[in-house]
Amino acid sequence: MSKKLKTNLAAYGMVLPAFMVVMLTVTYPIISAVIQSFKDEKTGSFTFSNYTYFFTEPAQLKNLLYTLMVVFLTVFIAIFVAYLLALYLRFVKSKIAKTIGTLYLLPRFVPAMCAVYAMITIIRDSGLIHRIGALFGLDITLGLMYHASGIIIMNLWFNIPFAAMMITAGLGAIPDSIIEGARDVGAGRWKTFTSMILPLSVKDVVIASTFVFMTNVGSFTTPYLMGGNAPKMLGIALFDQFNKYLAYNRSAALSVIMFLICSVSAGVYIYTNLKEQDWEK
Amino acid sequence: MSDRKIKLQIKDMTKKYDNGDGVAHINLDVYEGEIVTFLGPSGCGKSTILRTLGGFLDVTEGDITIDGKSIIALPPEKRPTAMVFQSYNLWPHMTIYENLAFGLKLRKIPKSTYDPDIKKMLELVHMSGSEKKYPGQLSGGQQQRIAIARSLLLKPSLLLLDEPFSALDAKIRQEMREELKKIQNDLGITVIFVTHDQEEAMALSHRIVVMNKGKFDQVGTPEEIYDDPQTLHVASFIGEMNFIDADGKTIAVRPEDLTVVKGTDKADLNATVRTSMLMGHYVSLTAQYGENIIKCFVDRDVAEDLEVGDAISLAIGKHTIFKDGVRSKA
Repeated sequence: MSKKLKTNLAAYGMVLPAFMVVMLTVTYPIISAVIQSFKDEKTGSFTFSNYTYFFTEPAQLKNLLYTLMVVFLTVFIAIFVAYLLALYLRFVKSKIAKTIGTLYLLPRFVPAMCAVYAMITIIRDSGLIHRIGALFGLDITLGLMYHASGIIIMNLWFNIPFAAMMITAGLGAIPDSIIEGARDVGAGRWKTFTSMILPLSVKDVVIASTFVFMTNVGSFTTPYLMGGNAPKMLGIALFDQFNKYLAYNRSAALSVIMFLICSVSAGVYIYTNLKEQDWEK
Repeated sequence: MSDRKIKLQIKDMTKKYDNGDGVAHINLDVYEGEIVTFLGPSGCGKSTILRTLGGFLDVTEGDITIDGKSIIALPPEKRPTAMVFQSYNLWPHMTIYENLAFGLKLRKIPKSTYDPDIKKMLELVHMSGSEKKYPGQLSGGQQQRIAIARSLLLKPSLLLLDEPFSALDAKIRQEMREELKKIQNDLGITVIFVTHDQEEAMALSHRIVVMNKGKFDQVGTPEEIYDDPQTLHVASFIGEMNFIDADGKTIAVRPEDLTVVKGTDKADLNATVRTSMLMGHYVSLTAQYGENIIKCFVDRDVAEDLEVGDAISLAIGKHTIFKDGVRSKA
């Protein structure tokens, strides 16, 4: 056996376990799910009906649109707030800013279940806010539970720190001298923002958006604990198909649909990351 | 000098940072069309002064006026100054043309007016044809030319340069220096230049302000600073200088002001040749004098006669005497 062959075999041997795990736990289930999704539940013959079901059945179509609405609102609000927070952390040099800079990631370390239950005890109609109101003789019922707005508030709790972290890193990479240079030639604060800071950070904003989008399309814990009965988010709809109706072929089709929705966002992510602006060449 | 118009006036200006560092009680008049250089080691406060002029730092006390008007209350964008930074801070996402046009557009100057100006300015800094390029495609020296052009296009009352050439290599630095001096001469603008490079300061300036630990050590023309240093710090910072200790005083003498004679007891000091290095048309020779090592520049024909270890005598020509770090009149 030549020395080269030996090295090659050793190398393959080291990669093999990881490769096998990926094949068995990722690649095989994906392929099998895609095949399942095109099979008729009873006859096992080829069909599109598992897919058409989710786009023609009014309740299912509502679920899809509802999910997209919740996710888009989450993305827009989370990114907007995160951008403002990131700007504050980047440009304000005070003790308060420094403290917020250290603390703002804490929500990421709270387990999702705990955070959701904590939020529920505060915002539900008999929760903390209601009781504080009652002390002053006010009857505050927020109506946030089992409603899209509750889910969105919870999503913001999870996603603002994450998005802010990504955008802060991007803003941190803009040197002060770029901004001072703009001020020096006569740009006021707003003009400096629109012509320097925004164009130089837009890439991080897009990337943060795609991440927030992807993690929320398939979210489960929050809508399960805080969402209403109908419409449902797709994660819950999938749970119902699989665990309640045991409709495995439809579950497979819904999984593929969710994957495709995410892949649009993944496409944007990859495109943004790979596409070099003219000035970056 | 006094009949010339004062462009910039710094009046008893103090800038203290939170940690107590900074500059205090700075007074300086800069005349129109002058290049004044702040020279000093890093941390001496020279950039602090420049940044207070540009508006990037607030002053704690005192006043700064340009053409007689106080500017300390104005934000950077309202000041009649333009600054060139140490890092070539061109805007990376804009082409060279856009970089140059940005400030002009903000001033609502029509394109038909500024377009020929930009062309002319690019010619002036030898960068014609680079309009469509991005800063990342240019070398450091080229970027710094564009940065200077960008500042000049705004016809600033006062051009501020913060160690603009320190990141460039020696040859380009030399070229840029000459170019800057020529441009300044052609346009007649007033320039404040900050550097830690004494050679650069000597080459460029009409007047040099030598700074040390937040204070002015000496303000004067390059000749005055070089020939007549007022403090030991100035003497050691500018050019090459030998310091010879004698009866509690320090004699400062430049290598070119020492005459070397072969043999003992022929002049002021007896020494031996330590090293001899050919520098081109002259020889740089170091001599051992007691504990001191003294550097002298000698002609090649004199040096040819000398071997390492030879006894020599040194005659001290022009020199200055310092006592306790300050120039002694005696």
